[in-house]
Amino acid sequence: MATAPPVPAGVLTIGSVSLKPAQEYEVFRPFANFVAANLHEVEIGRGRVVVVGSLSQMVEELREGRVDLFIDSPFPAAFVWKHGDTRPLLRRWKRGSDSYRSVVFARADSGIDSLDDLSGKIIAFGEPFSTTGFLMPKSALASEGLRLVNYEDPAASIPDDRVGYVFSNDAENTMFWVLKGKVAAGAVNADYFGALAGGRIGELRVLHTTEAVPRNVVCVRNSLDQQLVQAIEKVLLEMHLSEEGRAALEAFEETTKIDRFPRGSEQDLADIMMLLPHVEEDLGR
Amino acid sequence: MKRTSGDEIAGEVGLVRLGLRGRFVAFVSAIFIAFGVVLTALAVRAQNDHLRHELEDRGKLLTTVIAANTTDALAMLEVSELRRMIAEARDQENVLEVVTFDEDGRVFTDGTVENPRRHELISEAALRHVAGSEALLVEFDGDAMIVTKPVHLGGSVLGGVRLRYSLASLAEVQASLARRTAVVGAIFALLGVLAAALLTEAVTRPLKEVIRATRALSEGEPAPRLPVRTTDEVGELAEAFNEMTRKLRDTTVSRDYLDRVLETMGEGLVVTGPDGTITRVNSAVCSLSGVGEEELLGQNCRDLFRAPQGHVSLLDALGPDGSAHGLETELLARGGEAVPVMVSVGAMEEIAGRARSYVVVAADIGERLRHEQQKDEFVTMVHHEVRAPLTAVRGAIGLLEGGVAGELGERGQELVEIALRNSERMGRLVNDILASRKLDSGRMEFHYEQVEMMPLVEQAIDSTSAYATKHEVRFELDEGVPGAMVRVDPDRMIQVLTNVLSNAVRFSAAGDVVTVRASRHDELLRVAVSDAGPGIAEDFRDHVFEAFARGEHEDWRHRSGTGLGMSISKGIIEELGGAITFETELGAGTTFLIDIPESA
Repeated sequence: MATAPPVPAGVLTIGSVSLKPAQEYEVFRPFANFVAANLHEVEIGRGRVVVVGSLSQMVEELREGRVDLFIDSPFPAAFVWKHGDTRPLLRRWKRGSDSYRSVVFARADSGIDSLDDLSGKIIAFGEPFSTTGFLMPKSALASEGLRLVNYEDPAASIPDDRVGYVFSNDAENTMFWVLKGKVAAGAVNADYFGALAGGRIGELRVLHTTEAVPRNVVCVRNSLDQQLVQAIEKVLLEMHLSEEGRAALEAFEETTKIDRFPRGSEQDLADIMMLLPHVEEDLGR
Repeated sequence: MKRTSGDEIAGEVGLVRLGLRGRFVAFVSAIFIAFGVVLTALAVRAQNDHLRHELEDRGKLLTTVIAANTTDALAMLEVSELRRMIAEARDQENVLEVVTFDEDGRVFTDGTVENPRRHELISEAALRHVAGSEALLVEFDGDAMIVTKPVHLGGSVLGGVRLRYSLASLAEVQASLARRTAVVGAIFALLGVLAAALLTEAVTRPLKEVIRATRALSEGEPAPRLPVRTTDEVGELAEAFNEMTRKLRDTTVSRDYLDRVLETMGEGLVVTGPDGTITRVNSAVCSLSGVGEEELLGQNCRDLFRAPQGHVSLLDALGPDGSAHGLETELLARGGEAVPVMVSVGAMEEIAGRARSYVVVAADIGERLRHEQQKDEFVTMVHHEVRAPLTAVRGAIGLLEGGVAGELGERGQELVEIALRNSERMGRLVNDILASRKLDSGRMEFHYEQVEMMPLVEQAIDSTSAYATKHEVRFELDEGVPGAMVRVDPDRMIQVLTNVLSNAVRFSAAGDVVTVRASRHDELLRVAVSDAGPGIAEDFRDHVFEAFARGEHEDWRHRSGTGLGMSISKGIIEELGGAITFETELGAGTTFLIDIPESA
């Protein structure tokens, strides 16, 4: 009787940031297991998931070598790239999309025709960690010279030299708040804008559309063995080619595939890196 | 209809033959099933109503709760929160769809991430309702109930919740209920069929025993005695059957026995078919006709019996009921000899109205006719050889009494009177004999007239009064029916009355009164003649109207008549369409009652 080869002792650790670690663990586990299972040749026998509560903590984990891979949306990825001992390795597609962007909109009858008209008004963003719902539009507005200040109350009085913002925590909330005049403007993922506006799209005016950014980024710890990195890269790039790999990707937040940055990571993430300073404070919290 | 076995008491239901058992089972089963169906229908209906109300209440309550829970989120435009709550509501049983909407009736969310109904307008009717009321609006659409609950806060309309609630589960429950009920119904039906089968077996088993016994009886086998198990109708049937077979045994004669009886009959017996074809004869017929049985069978009875006068055949002379009695005709014997016979015919219906056969009984009356002839010859002889000389004798005695032959001495006178009295008596006897014979032979002539009754009675009393005076008996006419008319031969009527009056005088003592009463009685005229005589002895009462019958009363023997008077009177009165009877009491007297139809 043939004996199964012994499982290598090596461990591949994938890190993530979330305030719901148990849920996040379950999202990452099948992906980690699949990748680890395909790295036996490089002595990786097991996959591990580490969930921490902040990006700062993740930077520390990467720096200390306790996390090998970090997979997140472009701003967090840019953040750990900038502050941790990591580099962007590959691009991750989600739900058939390789990139996304945001739109900033207001009611057409609100008298707001441009971003400048938002001064002294309140804009609604989505969730605090949402790339298209918050990080992208906020950084874009900020890069346009607007001073954005966070408020809790959408009805708060805003000084004319500032733009107040509130978190609606939901793109649908954002849309209705704008439509019902609860806020002056809102920002949502451009992919969903049309669906959210529906038949009332004529009541809206788009004030700004951000540049497209990669949908998601796989970062790798710089100190990781290069042979291992190459092996990981190979496994990830080929995942969508096998049945098992596709199943693991699907279970991993509907990932379509993982590929290389078309123009290289530095160029494809250049806009993000430029906008990052406007939201670093938000990301580092 | 052929019966295939003794187990079947066949009847027909459409094209399917059902025995008694089948019909009984079907009937009882039908009752069970009908009962079950009615109960089920009532139960299902009640259950349906209950379920529907409960389901509707549940839908309304759910809508109300959702509306209450979503009020804050509506007020704050927390659509994500609304989505979460509506999503939870969608998971509730029977909820087909639920949306929240704003004060303009535009849908916020249907609880899904995709939210395809976002911004969609609810119905105009619902929107109008929401604007003006906080109450539930309930609408129905097929198997669904649509409940709209407006949400107001502080006098402002925030919007509302609109829930589409399925009542289809009601149909499922109904179907389930119907299935369960059907199962229960089927069980009931099976039980009903089983009960009916057992009941039917209990009922039909004795009937089958009766059928088997009846068949055995009809095939000549000894009928078994049926067990009487119960005291009900079935038990009574068995008892009645046993009683019937017992009586049959007592009264039924075997064919051989019947044959022997027929062969020993003195009268000839012929059985014919409906057309007169002879199917059976007894030996007496063979003797009378001189023809053997083999030869007679198959012949028509018209070849055996001469047709009665005025008819083409014997069977033609039968009455509507196919019978005849006392027909005198002739049996045509071999060699052309005709045997006078008196024939009685009876019809036998083998099946009502069909296949009638006839039984002809023929009695040889040749001897009787010879006696009749001898009687006629005797009467003729009496008429010629006795009556005429007697008249001469009476005339001679009358001359003697009148002194033509000289004065008679006292003794001589006495002897002449005796001779005269006896010659008169002999004359009456001869007259009575002649009258009686005329009646018997039907040769007495009657001359009918429409006459008043009372004069006839008075005339008869007058005619008899001399005889009564002689015996010191007096007549008394008590009542009368003046003007009453009868259609009679007056002479014959007077003859009858006179005879009855004479009879009453004859049995009366000196000084007695014979009462004559004429009255109406049961649409008849009645003449009652009562004497105070000794009455008629009990053993003689049945012979009063027979010829030559005379009472044995010693005291009155000297007064007795010829013994033909009452017989003649009866014959005459019956010819006149009336009747004569009597009432008598020993020692108290006798009343003769003459009833005659009154003529209009």
